[in-house]
Amino acid sequence: MKAWEELISSSFYEATARQRAHGLVDAGTFNELGGPNKRLKSPHLPELGEAVSFDDGVVTGVGRIGARPVFVISQEGRFIGGAVGEVGGAKTTAIFQMALRLHDKIAKKYPEDASLRAPAIIYSFETGGVRLHEANAGLLAHAEQMELIQECRGKVPVISLIGSKVGCFGGMGFVSISTDVVVMSELGRIGLTGPEVIEQEMGKKEFDSSDRALIYRTTGGKHKTIMRDCSFLVDDTIGAFRDQVKTLLNMPYEQLKKYRSIGSLKLVQEQLSLVALAAVLQPKDSTDVWAHFGNDNPEGIPDMELEEFCRKAKLRHREVE
Amino acid sequence: MALHEISFLIEPQEGYESIPVDWAHNGVVGSGDMELLMQKTDSAAVQVNIVTPVAGYDAIWEKVLRKFVAEARLGGVSIEINDNNSTPYVVATRLKQGLLEAKAGERE
Repeated sequence: MKAWEELISSSFYEATARQRAHGLVDAGTFNELGGPNKRLKSPHLPELGEAVSFDDGVVTGVGRIGARPVFVISQEGRFIGGAVGEVGGAKTTAIFQMALRLHDKIAKKYPEDASLRAPAIIYSFETGGVRLHEANAGLLAHAEQMELIQECRGKVPVISLIGSKVGCFGGMGFVSISTDVVVMSELGRIGLTGPEVIEQEMGKKEFDSSDRALIYRTTGGKHKTIMRDCSFLVDDTIGAFRDQVKTLLNMPYEQLKKYRSIGSLKLVQEQLSLVALAAVLQPKDSTDVWAHFGNDNPEGIPDMELEEFCRKAKLRHREVE
Repeated sequence: MALHEISFLIEPQEGYESIPVDWAHNGVVGSGDMELLMQKTDSAAVQVNIVTPVAGYDAIWEKVLRKFVAEARLGGVSIEINDNNSTPYVVATRLKQGLLEAKAGERE
């Protein structure tokens, strides 16, 4: 493992799940729970002749950022595309449950300022969604996490971090967007059906999965920021993600929850109005949508540096504030 | 179809050394890659367990591992590998890296 100082200046995109987990919290504070020495391997993959991993593709544990306990879930895209199976899913679910239990203890002990002492969860997504080799258990893990994210509301802030190579696709696209806040880098990608699957099902004319520029225009961090699915766009370093998490942890929950995409009737109505807009606008490309939201030169957006983009880009107006 | 498992014991050389930490982990089971888990043991001999999708290369695995253990003068440690189609060169490199990191872990 690289030294912590080296980790925070490393690329988030290229970092392994374990490197991200160590670098996101304060130096030397990350304690892995259910780590590789526990040998929590998938019982299903050997039956299918597929390679197994001692951590089942997800690093889970707890560390600190300042005085706050911060639980970490970090998916490893190099192992079966970061797909969620039974054991990795259970490890993830356990982290949510531990964070909630710790919150309740802290709230009892410090009722007056529980919200700034309570634990938080940071979830570094790198996944294609359900692991098809153990799909029932994987889907169940998705459902459990969605439910736990709802249970965490108002208690344990849950922050999605997306900027890794595989991106965040499939059912995990849903999970990532139902947390309190989404932080991305320009290289991060969120979607439901991955580019290759769209091409396979609908043809190259519909979506050319070898067109990287098209993929980033459709699923990348800048697009998700303009659409307001992503609330903070940061540089591609572990340190930049970490700094954003630090800022968010200092916010009271009342402020933090304003970044939510779903979770109330009004928010759902706002999402539905976007579906209606798509039907009216019939966009041929993301640039049409960017232009609709007031960007005069949408073709120039992909080439903008992060600083210029943050200064110039016109974002969708949020109806629910 | 099922995963292929290879196990063997390597007798250590005179003046062998174990790892300075209880256990050390290294690597990611990506395509063409592997992870390594080394753990201190009470017995001197090095117990090796390899889990891989590829069958038929047991002799090569053994050769690479025996060379590594001899060169590093290792003993009193178990070596577990989860492999996903690594080449012998990658295996040798990961073993060396793993040992280096295990030794660095002591300094932290």
